[in-house]
Amino acid sequence: MRRLVWLVLLAVAWACTENATSPAVCPNFCPGDSIAIRDTILTSIIDRDSSFRGYVPSYGAEAMTAADVPGVIDSRAFFTTDSVFTRVAPKAGDTTTVPINVDSSRVRFIIGRRPKNTTNLQLRLFRLPVTADSTSDFASLDPDFTATPVASLNVTDLLALPAITDSQTIFRWDSIWGTQSTDSIRVDSAGHVLQMHINPSDTTLAVYFKLDTLQGPFSVADTGRSAWGVRVAADSFASVILGASQLGGSIPLIRWYFHYTIPDTVSATPDSVVMATRVPSLRFHNFVFNPPTAPLDSNLAVGGVPSTRALLRVALPAFLHDSIDVVRATLVLVPVNAVPGAPSDSFQILARAIAADLGAKSPLSQNSALSGTTTVHTGSADTLRIELTTMVRAWSLDTTLVTAFIMGQSPEATSYTEIRFYSSRAPAFRPALHVTYVKRFRFGEL
Amino acid sequence: MAMGRLGGWAVRVGVVAVFLTAQPPNRLTAQDSQFGIRGLGTPGKSESVRARTTGGAFAPFDAFSPLTDAVLADVRRMSASVTSGASWRSVDAGGLQSSLRGTRFPAMVITGPVTRRIVVGGGFTTYLDRSFGVVIQDTIDLRGVQQPITDEITSDGAISDLRIAVAARLHNRLALGLGLHRLTGSTRVVATRSFTDSSYRTTTARDEVAYGGLGGSASLLFDVTSDLRVAGWFRSDSKLRADVGGNTVAENDLPLMYGAGVQWRAGAQASVAGTASWRNWGAVQASVNSHDTFNWSFGAEIGSPGSPFRLGVRGGQLPFGVGKAPTEVGYSAGVGRQFSGGRGRLDIGLERLQRSGLGLTERVWTVLVGLTVRP
Repeated sequence: MRRLVWLVLLAVAWACTENATSPAVCPNFCPGDSIAIRDTILTSIIDRDSSFRGYVPSYGAEAMTAADVPGVIDSRAFFTTDSVFTRVAPKAGDTTTVPINVDSSRVRFIIGRRPKNTTNLQLRLFRLPVTADSTSDFASLDPDFTATPVASLNVTDLLALPAITDSQTIFRWDSIWGTQSTDSIRVDSAGHVLQMHINPSDTTLAVYFKLDTLQGPFSVADTGRSAWGVRVAADSFASVILGASQLGGSIPLIRWYFHYTIPDTVSATPDSVVMATRVPSLRFHNFVFNPPTAPLDSNLAVGGVPSTRALLRVALPAFLHDSIDVVRATLVLVPVNAVPGAPSDSFQILARAIAADLGAKSPLSQNSALSGTTTVHTGSADTLRIELTTMVRAWSLDTTLVTAFIMGQSPEATSYTEIRFYSSRAPAFRPALHVTYVKRFRFGEL
Repeated sequence: MAMGRLGGWAVRVGVVAVFLTAQPPNRLTAQDSQFGIRGLGTPGKSESVRARTTGGAFAPFDAFSPLTDAVLADVRRMSASVTSGASWRSVDAGGLQSSLRGTRFPAMVITGPVTRRIVVGGGFTTYLDRSFGVVIQDTIDLRGVQQPITDEITSDGAISDLRIAVAARLHNRLALGLGLHRLTGSTRVVATRSFTDSSYRTTTARDEVAYGGLGGSASLLFDVTSDLRVAGWFRSDSKLRADVGGNTVAENDLPLMYGAGVQWRAGAQASVAGTASWRNWGAVQASVNSHDTFNWSFGAEIGSPGSPFRLGVRGGQLPFGVGKAPTEVGYSAGVGRQFSGGRGRLDIGLERLQRSGLGLTERVWTVLVGLTVRP
C-alpha cells in the first residue's frame, strides 16, 4: 500500500506539467471565433507633408562622392590640411631650429564604396589652392580639377596585382597609418599602394598616392598647408564614395616624409641626418558636383546636398487605435522619376519617428526602434516601400505619440543623389500606408 | 496493525496532499475535453475519489461528493475531503493524434453537524472546465502572397461551483438537503498568430473572462430498509454570465439537472449502487451543437470499511458535439485506507474513460488521490 501511494503521488506530481494544447480540427473542435486579419491601403491618411533642405552640408558629411557619369553627374572631392612646422628643434631643450627638407609624400583616401563590375577605375589627384573652403563651388574649382593631374592611381590594375600578405609588412603599414587591420597590400610600379581586406569583404579599400617633391611640393610659403582634390574615371559608371569620418578613421590625409640635419658643433664628424614624417590635421573636406541639386518643388524630396528631409504627418484613423493589433504597416511611396546615377550610388533612406511636431525643426525620436529603412536603387522608378510596423504599432498603442515621421538619406549629404516622391498634393500618387491588422479576438463568446 | 503502520507516514501524505491543493483557483478544474471547446465547457464530476472509483454510483450516498446535499446528514463530526487527479489524454481527431496531460483538483468538501439533526457543509467542485489549447496551421492570402500562419488559442481555467448546503434529518429514515450554489471562476485566454514571413509581427491577444451565476439544489435521501437507500436530487441554475473587462459579453442558459440513485448494502463488507441523471443542456441556445444528456453509473465497494476495494462503470453523454451527442464510457477501480484510528482516509483510484463523437475520440487515464480527515 505504501509503495502504491508514493507511486501515485509521483505520477500526480509528474503530471503537474500541463500540456493542454493539441492540433486543432476546425471548425468542429475549435473556438467559435477565429483570429480575423484585415489588410487595407489607407490612401488619404498622410497629409500636410513637406520637404525641407539644409540639415547637413556636404562638408559636414561623413563621406564624399567622386563620380563622373556623363550626362548625369560630375562630382569631385577635395580636402585641405592644416599647417606643418617648417622648422624643428634637433635637440631637446635647444632653442636652435633647423629647416625640414621634404623628400616625398603620400596622400591617402579610403574608398568606402565603388562599382565592382566596372573596369579601369582610376583616381586622379589634383593640387588645389589652399584657400579652398565651403564657399568654393564646382565652377570655382573647375580650373584646378581640369588641370593635369598630379598623379593617377588605377584601382582596377592594383587589385589585379599579386598581394603582399606578409603579416609583419601589413602590421607595420597598419600601425603607421592607423588603419583598421587589413590582410593584404598591393603596390604598383609607381609606388602607389592599395590596402584591403580580402576576407570577409573587399568593400573598403585604402589607396595611397606616392608623390615626389615635383608632384607634391611642400610649400613653405603656405606653412605646409596643402589642398588636394580627386576625380574618378572608369570605362563606365565611375563613382566612388570616399571616407571623411573622423570617428571612423576614414578621413583623407597626407603624410609628409622629410629629413633634417643636426649640425655637429663639437667635432669634425659629419652632420647627422634625421628622417621623420608628419601628418597635418585635416582642415576641411568637401565635394562639389554639377549639376547642382534641383530646387524643391511640390513633391517630396529626400537626399541631395545640403541634405533634404521630408516630413510626413499621419492622421491615424480611430479604428487603428481601438481593438486591433497591427501586424504589418508599410509606407508606399511613388517616385516622380528614377534617380539617375551609377548603380553603386544606390542609397538608403531612413524614416524616423519624431518626438514633437515642430515642422522642419522637429526633433527626431530617440527610440531608434521607431524607424524603417529601404534602399533606393538608381535607375529604378519602382514604387518604394518602407516597413513602419514598429512605428505604427507604437502609435496604435500610445495615443500621446506624435503620428508623424521624417525621412532622410542615410548617411546624409554624402552624395549628390536625391529622390523625389509624389506628395499628398498629387491625389493619384500620394503616399499611402498599407496596414495589415488583426481584429480583437472575441473571447467569452461561443 | 495496518492502521498502526499507516500512522507514521500518513502525516507526510497529508502534507503532500495539502501542498497539492494549494494551487491557483483556475486549476480547480476537472477533466477537460476537446468536445467542450465549441460549447460552454466540459462538465465536471461532482464526485470524491471514493465515488469516482465506483463509476460515480456512490456519489449521492457519499457526503464528500458535492453532488447532493441530503447525504450531509450522515456526517457525525467535522470532516474535510479533497480530491485530486492527474490525467493523460490521447486525442484522435480524424487521424490527427495528440497526447495531453494535466493535473486537476476537482472537488473539496468541508462539513460538520450544527445540531444532532442538522449538518452544514460547503466546498467547491468544477461546474465546467474551460482549459484547452488548439494550434491551427493554415495558409492565407496576404497582400497577394500565400502566407503560412500558425494560430494558437489557449484557455486556462474553469467555472467553479461554490456550495453552501444544509442537510436535515427529518425522520430516522428521511433526510432533506438544500444547497445554494455560486458559479464563479475565470479563464485566462490567449490568442496568438505567428507568421512564417518575419515581415509580419506575431500578434497576441490576452484577456481574462470572468464567469458568474447562481444556482440552487435540493435532494432527498430515504432509507427504505436498513440496507437499502434511495436518493433523488434536483438542481437549477441561473444564466451563466461571461464578462470581459467588466463588460458582459455573453449570457447562456444552464441546464436543469435531476437524478436518482439506489444503494444496497449486501452484508457488512459489500455494497452496490447505481444512479441515473439527466441534464437538459439542449437549452443552451447559444450553441447549436448542445444536447440533453443522460448519464448512468453502477459501482460496488467490497471489503472492510477500513480498507475497501471499489470498482465501477459509467456511461452517458457529453453535452457538446457536432451532430449527435458524444458518448462517454468509463471504468474505474480503487482502494481506500483509513489511518490514525479512523481520523483520516486515503483513497486512490484509477479511471479509464473513452469519449466518442463525430470526428473525435478521446481516451483518458486518470490517477485519483483523495484525502479525508476528521480532526
